[in-house]
Amino acid sequence: MNFDISEEQQLLQQSVERFVNENYDLATRRKLVDSPQGYSDDNWSQMAELGWLALPFDESDGGFGGNQIDTMLVMEQFGRGLVVEPYFANIVLGGGILKQSSNLELKTSLLPGIITGDVRLTLAHAEEQSRFDLDDVVTTAREDGDHYVLNGKKSMVPNAATATHVIVSARTGGGQRDKDGIVLLLIDSGDLDGNHFPTVDGGRASELSLDNVRVPAERIIGDFNLLAKAAQDAVLALSAEALGCMEVLYKSTVEYTQEREQFDHPLSDFQVVQHRMVDMFVEYEQCKSLLYRATLEAVQDAPTAARTSHALKHLIGKSAGFIGENAVQLHGGMGMTEELAIGHYFKRLLVIESQFGNTDYHLTQFAD
Amino acid sequence: MEIDLSPEDFEFRQEVRDFLKENTAKPGADYSQWRLDYFKKAAAKGGWDVPKWPVEFGGPGWSPTQHYIWEQETVTASLPWDMPFGIGMLAPILMNYGSKEQIDRFLPDIRERNVNWCQGYSEPGAGSDLASLKTKAVLSDDGTHYTVTGTKVWTTMAHMADWMFCLTRTDDTGIKQEGITFLLIPMKQDGIEVTPIITLGGAHSVNMVHITEVKVPVENRIGEEGKGWTYAKGLLQHERTGLAGISRSIVALENLKRQAQSVPRGNRTLMDDPAFKSKVAELEIDLLAVEFTELRSLAAAASGDDPGPESSILKLKGTEIQQRIQKLTVEAGGIYSAAWGVPVGHKFARSGMQGYLGGRANTIYGGASEVQKDVIAKNVLGLKRS
Repeated sequence: MNFDISEEQQLLQQSVERFVNENYDLATRRKLVDSPQGYSDDNWSQMAELGWLALPFDESDGGFGGNQIDTMLVMEQFGRGLVVEPYFANIVLGGGILKQSSNLELKTSLLPGIITGDVRLTLAHAEEQSRFDLDDVVTTAREDGDHYVLNGKKSMVPNAATATHVIVSARTGGGQRDKDGIVLLLIDSGDLDGNHFPTVDGGRASELSLDNVRVPAERIIGDFNLLAKAAQDAVLALSAEALGCMEVLYKSTVEYTQEREQFDHPLSDFQVVQHRMVDMFVEYEQCKSLLYRATLEAVQDAPTAARTSHALKHLIGKSAGFIGENAVQLHGGMGMTEELAIGHYFKRLLVIESQFGNTDYHLTQFAD
Repeated sequence: MEIDLSPEDFEFRQEVRDFLKENTAKPGADYSQWRLDYFKKAAAKGGWDVPKWPVEFGGPGWSPTQHYIWEQETVTASLPWDMPFGIGMLAPILMNYGSKEQIDRFLPDIRERNVNWCQGYSEPGAGSDLASLKTKAVLSDDGTHYTVTGTKVWTTMAHMADWMFCLTRTDDTGIKQEGITFLLIPMKQDGIEVTPIITLGGAHSVNMVHITEVKVPVENRIGEEGKGWTYAKGLLQHERTGLAGISRSIVALENLKRQAQSVPRGNRTLMDDPAFKSKVAELEIDLLAVEFTELRSLAAAASGDDPGPESSILKLKGTEIQQRIQKLTVEAGGIYSAAWGVPVGHKFARSGMQGYLGGRANTIYGGASEVQKDVIAKNVLGLKRS
């Protein structure tokens, strides 16, 4: 039994931690969030130089051959810093799908650009009626000679405005909620109409319209199974990020309540406050355990891996709500301000709750 | 025990409905003119502009049932905006502790909504523990005025206020509840600086107010020097019950159900989702109970009794219910709740997230829930703390 990470992984963790400490004070982040693009090109180049954009790809493809544990280490630190660069959309979602694609030609042509940061991917799977169901797809891909013609709308696509390509799920056949008949296609973002907007956590998302978009058949990346696998990895990555946010929230709260005095005592002297923070800490530790469990099962490709990832996102959602709301509550009026970091972590957790299935959704999936 | 409406109550309800229908804003009309007209017409009904004021100050003298009917009917009507600070907070203090001159000077403008008030209570070091406030007021040697210096925080609508009613410290030698003096301070003068505080929902409604050597004539002091805490304290409990917002929550829950019905879930809607449905049902059950808790509290108040233990739980339970409704609205918005400031996907998602974020303050202001529980433990259950 061993929960230690390798020396190589330690170096990775420390390097991301250093990046966050050096580049992500709240004022700097605020500037990035308020900028038109929403993140820094310099940071993005630095991530490429440090090799993080190559992390999950096989060494034979020019990557670092990392697995879900490596991604977890990166995402947890990104959560601590509230990093806004589109690592999740590009590397976890886009890269994750491409990495496992059997379309070798497409993979070979795109991976070098992804690793340098010049090719930027994202995934458009959600639709207005789909809520959290990946298999609920009404966007159509009609075969037309050696092309497909796509029509439909995609919702809440992360970082689409700065992506060079969008991976879109579309239906070649079957009913609205059939897993069969779903394909993933790679589309140049120039071929899509987008309504781009900020998200509540300072990120960026888009509503995309596909109006008779013609895509060559060789742009098919995969099928529903690939999408489901990518979603499972997405849950692991988002949960790691959430864990980083929760750590900051509970620790800041413990710190703040020792400084803030009311009724001639630090707030932390009051037992009700102490017990609340103990509960926050316990929730955090439980989330960490389940994150390790789900991540290890995914690495080992265990038959229970999918089910454990549902358990994880459920527990993360529940605990993030508890820790986030109580961090705000125990900071009192200060927790309600844009000025303090607390609110920003809370908002990131709220967005994570809306991504790749919320607390209820994963409980149902786990129970079924 | 009797809960059915009497024929007179039905008549009253009809009268309220007719009045509200007649006096809704007409499209294209000048809003501020309509607002002032509305309050004039409500006054002409016999105190409908100040439902909670006592009869001797022009209130309507309604029964608890009539108050309840008014609440229920007005919560869905589009009444003109109104702030509680003058009408609901300062006015009762003036009535109880103000001099005749002060009542004559301030009450008419409060009633006609000519003057906006804000509440200068909280300070950076005095939140839940309000009595530890430090804003200093020093009486001049000739006894004609105070010089006030200090900082107030979370001051709602200070940026739109003409006056502030303010708790100041005139003596720090005794226990902290003593030596607090209640002053009325004009806002539009040198020495008053209002700085906006932007809250999580992106809104600006609260402020920081710096007061620097502002001279306040002694005529602007309510009651005696050093007794301000006694005057303010009674009202705090009043403010707290007012914050429960039960009628608003009943309407909000109905809205939530409609919104959830507009969210597709497979071939059905989110309202058919068992997990979601049972959370809505649990809320509805709590609301059924708390609605009657409020009625019991109203009835006790009308009979002149001290507010019973039931009123102490209203703020606690009421704000918790508000937050649960807000949270479920965000949940109903699903993926679209993450969009910020733009209408995307489900129409309600945008305001849903704003409401949820802003609503986190509900269990903080007006006495945080933790403090409410302390008050109940001490005053209702008679418990001592070690």
